[in-house]
Amino acid sequence: MGIQKDRVRFNVGGRIFETTATTLANAGRNSLFGAMFDESWNLQTDNNSNEYFIDRNPDCFAVLLDLLRTHELYCPPNMSEKLLYREALYYGLLDHVRSAKWGPFDGNRLWLSRTVAGQAPGDGTAIRAGPDGGCCVAHGCMVHVYDWMLEEHPPINLDYQRVNDVGWLDSENLVVSVCERLGRGDGGMGLFSTSSGELRDKFQVSHENQVKSFTAGALSFSSDYKIFSSCKGRSNEYGIGVWDQITGKQTDFFYEPPGWSLGDADKLQWLNGSNCLLVATLFPRKDNCYISLLDFREKKMVWSWSDMGAPITVDEKRVRDAIAMEESNSICVVNEYEDLGFIDIRNSRGSSVRWSSRSKLMKGKMPDEPCYPKLALHEGQLFSSMNDSISVFCGPDWVLTSRLRRSYGGSICDFSIGGDRLFALHSEENVFDIWETPPAPII
Amino acid sequence: MSNQKKRNFQIEAFKHRVVVDPKYADKTWKVLEHAIREIYNHNASGLSFEELYRNAYNMVLHKYGEKLYSGLVTTMTSHLKEISKSIEAAQGGMFLEEMNKKWTDHNKALQMIRDILMYMDRTYIPSTQKTPVHELGLNLWRDIIIHSSKIQTRLLNTLLELVHRERTGEVINRGLMRNIIKMLMELGPSVYQEDFENPFLEVSAEFYKGESQKFIECCDCGDYLKKAERRLNEELERVTHYLDAKSEGKITNVVEKEMIANHMLRLVHMENSGLVNMLLDDKYEDLGRMYNLFRRVANGLSTIREVMTSHIRETGKQLVTDPERLKDPVEFVQRLLDEKDKYDSIIKLSFNNDKTFQNGLNSSFEYFINLNTRSPEFISLFVDDKLRKGLKGVSEEDVEVILDKVMMLFRYLQEKDVFEKYYKQHLAKRLLSGKTVSDDAERSLIVKLKTECGYQFTSKLEGMFTDMKTSQDTMQGFYASHPELGDGPTLTVQVLTTGSWPTQPSVTCNLPAEMSALCEKFRSFYLGTHTGRRLSWQTNMGTADIKATFGKGQKHELNVSTYQMCVLMLFNNADRLNYKEIEQAIEIPALDLKRCLQSMACVKGKNVLRKEPMSKDICEDDTFFVNDKFTSKLYKVKIGTVVAQKESEPEKQETRQRVEEDRKPQIEAAIVRIMKSRRTLDHNNVISEVTKQLQSRFLANPTEIKKRIESLIEREFLERDSTDRKLYRYLA
Repeated sequence: MGIQKDRVRFNVGGRIFETTATTLANAGRNSLFGAMFDESWNLQTDNNSNEYFIDRNPDCFAVLLDLLRTHELYCPPNMSEKLLYREALYYGLLDHVRSAKWGPFDGNRLWLSRTVAGQAPGDGTAIRAGPDGGCCVAHGCMVHVYDWMLEEHPPINLDYQRVNDVGWLDSENLVVSVCERLGRGDGGMGLFSTSSGELRDKFQVSHENQVKSFTAGALSFSSDYKIFSSCKGRSNEYGIGVWDQITGKQTDFFYEPPGWSLGDADKLQWLNGSNCLLVATLFPRKDNCYISLLDFREKKMVWSWSDMGAPITVDEKRVRDAIAMEESNSICVVNEYEDLGFIDIRNSRGSSVRWSSRSKLMKGKMPDEPCYPKLALHEGQLFSSMNDSISVFCGPDWVLTSRLRRSYGGSICDFSIGGDRLFALHSEENVFDIWETPPAPII
Repeated sequence: MSNQKKRNFQIEAFKHRVVVDPKYADKTWKVLEHAIREIYNHNASGLSFEELYRNAYNMVLHKYGEKLYSGLVTTMTSHLKEISKSIEAAQGGMFLEEMNKKWTDHNKALQMIRDILMYMDRTYIPSTQKTPVHELGLNLWRDIIIHSSKIQTRLLNTLLELVHRERTGEVINRGLMRNIIKMLMELGPSVYQEDFENPFLEVSAEFYKGESQKFIECCDCGDYLKKAERRLNEELERVTHYLDAKSEGKITNVVEKEMIANHMLRLVHMENSGLVNMLLDDKYEDLGRMYNLFRRVANGLSTIREVMTSHIRETGKQLVTDPERLKDPVEFVQRLLDEKDKYDSIIKLSFNNDKTFQNGLNSSFEYFINLNTRSPEFISLFVDDKLRKGLKGVSEEDVEVILDKVMMLFRYLQEKDVFEKYYKQHLAKRLLSGKTVSDDAERSLIVKLKTECGYQFTSKLEGMFTDMKTSQDTMQGFYASHPELGDGPTLTVQVLTTGSWPTQPSVTCNLPAEMSALCEKFRSFYLGTHTGRRLSWQTNMGTADIKATFGKGQKHELNVSTYQMCVLMLFNNADRLNYKEIEQAIEIPALDLKRCLQSMACVKGKNVLRKEPMSKDICEDDTFFVNDKFTSKLYKVKIGTVVAQKESEPEKQETRQRVEEDRKPQIEAAIVRIMKSRRTLDHNNVISEVTKQLQSRFLANPTEIKKRIESLIEREFLERDSTDRKLYRYLA
């Protein structure tokens, strides 16, 4: 920064601020201050008054200057957050604000930051956390997109077809998978801009060089820019489709083997370490549960497990969600009573489920409208939702360490972790909660 | 209040009008456009950054983002078109200077424009998926300046011209070059490749094709390689100075292909200066250069290696088959060692100690050394020579060095058992005649042979040393128990274990009476201390020191063989003896007797005897008498036996035969060992396994192996499979 003396005087909207060039340097080159004090601008102060004039709100400037000084955000109660964000955006400090607002994610230190009520007419289908603190909520045939300030962006729909899954490619792009409309080429899968809600690209499936309409189900993305989706075609073309994120072209299709449900999958999960895709098709979509790992390079199902033909007693422990845990070479499953079970994936033929006989206590107080449990994994912490609460498990033996609960909104039908936040979508009232880890304490 | 007064009351017009200006967007854009122009004209100091930033912000805020962006594109495009014109107008050498200057300006302006449009860059551009300002500036520069029809080819030609001038020795402005190339790289890898790198590589290939053709016509190989190396280094330097590091591999590939790969064979075989000449003249530097350059191209090293090995084979073959060389075994082996040293140092100094070259050298030596069946004998003779006399005054380390070198040659031998045979003979002679100069050196060599070929190979040789030691002790014991023998002739007996020594079947020899009495005494002494043994005398291997007084009273001590002693002792009792009489008296084989007489009667200076008639050869009717006129300056006179050091032809045949005989049981043992573990095996595999097992000793002849198999079948160690005749079965 081409400034001779370290002290800097600003006149912001009539109020004088004094600070140092060192403090301003915290804003970085990609901010108004960084550009303003760049040598090439050879900045002059106004009328020999020794100060730089900025035509902005002084109150917000004070807050943001403190942010640069302390790396902490303190927003006075009488100040509108939205106004502060707008000012931060003007100075190019919005990212500073965001990272000061909440701390790095820790499942055991979460507090409820906000609750947002949606306008959806019915139950939500899915909630997905974005990479930088935003989220999107899918219900019916609409997807509502919120940025990290929880400002709502234009909603998204794909031919007004029922949404099955959504996923964030990056903070600017969402993939939405929907049902096909019979008799028309509508439906399938589309790429949308999160800021404008515009359709940017529509993914297609070809079988034998013919483009076919299809219903897209569960989604997963890999770090090498691939999109996976379970697909159901019109003429029994069931399986897992693969597209390139950059070109948008279909690159592969894994046809489901007879007797094994891939096209109906509820959950896909790309496993980076083993280069495999976890595909789980679960009750009640099918009468039985099918979990498998697919290797696309060899076009092979390298591991599989099913409860087909299992003894009746297992029936009460029907698997409702599954998640692969690469560190421990196992798949965690959960049943409708939130019992966790573990399956070893080192044997190529699935071994049996090892249930942790933790709880049957929940059974007494089942709510009127139960939701199936869901699982999530984040940096060695396992999360499972059940009814109106989310449990956090830690350690090699997955000990229950925390439980997030709120008395309002009814059962949690879906939740998602991302951008250092946890979003929980409730089935009633159409509300979702945002859980955050507070910034580090002062001392 | 009156109306009048009321009328007087006026609201003063507000100094700043705050009505929404319908032309707000246009006006704001005009301000920004003006600023952009000023920035390009280096007039930015008059601009207020805060105001411009605020204006750009307001335009985006009021949904004029599109207008702002398209305005930016138009303004920048028109500026770049002007710049393009001024670059086009630059004359000759100023062209690149101008371009570099404008590029620096553009970069700086771009940065400042981006600063004022930062808000648009951050909000409007990502949401509309437009190109960010900085990238836009680069793209426009690429499309308007670099890809302009008047600039594109001129730029390329200028750059290539500069490179060419530098190649022909001129000094160019490398800094400018670097800046321009860096500009192309910043515009994206494809711009650098398409607008410079690919044509550059083509032109370079053309250039080096021509140059290499020119050089190869007029330079010798060494000079050519020097030039190629210099060119290669120049190109590497060029890359570090002003090209993309990624071009390094590509341009060196071009030079390697054009200057080396395309002329490889011609260089290697160049008359009077090619590889063979370099090898002959020990041109380490040139060879090293050739190695380093050829290493870069496919098949380069293998070409050098093949030429080198075939040259070594050729010269080696000449060396070992040259009949002149066969006359002196020591010289023969020394030549081999020199040859090996020569190539060892070439490989060490020039070929980076390359393993494949060492292997090539070894296989070549192995090839030609075994072309001469006498190599094992000669190597043993060389050792014999060194251990007899050659090692005097040589330090222990040097002895080790010589022995190591000999071992290296030994390693190349296929017929190691033949070497063993000769070595045993030569060692026996050395030990019995006490001629070995260094016991340590002898033992050191045995240890080396042991590590090379195993215990079995040297056990007999070691036995010979033990015999020598025990004989000394025995003789001390003998004289201690016979104190009365003090003034008679002294007898020294070496007791040799049968089997360890290359003994010949004992021949008769009538010793003089004094001696035979003494021998009898020793025999009874020895058998008294060691029961169950048998002693037989190897008179053919002994020596004697006798005192003689000649005609004029001169006294000499004669060092002679046992046979010669027997003959001379006869003359104590007779003046003249004819051949027949001598033969009858001592009864040694005629051939030995003739040799022994020849050495005493026909060798000038050592002729203690005279014979009639005088002639070179001994005939059966010759008569012998003492040469009274014998004179010698020395008191001690050594009368050698006329023995060819080298084996004579029939002896050679005999040794050969013995070796062949010895091999038979070894081959059989190997066959039985293999069949015992395999139970059944087909013919070809038996042959190959036997060959492999015996490799460390000799190269087994397949027909001989086949004969041994037949013999084993006869003796019912093996049988042929009843269905498959090629299959053998082991019979327990």
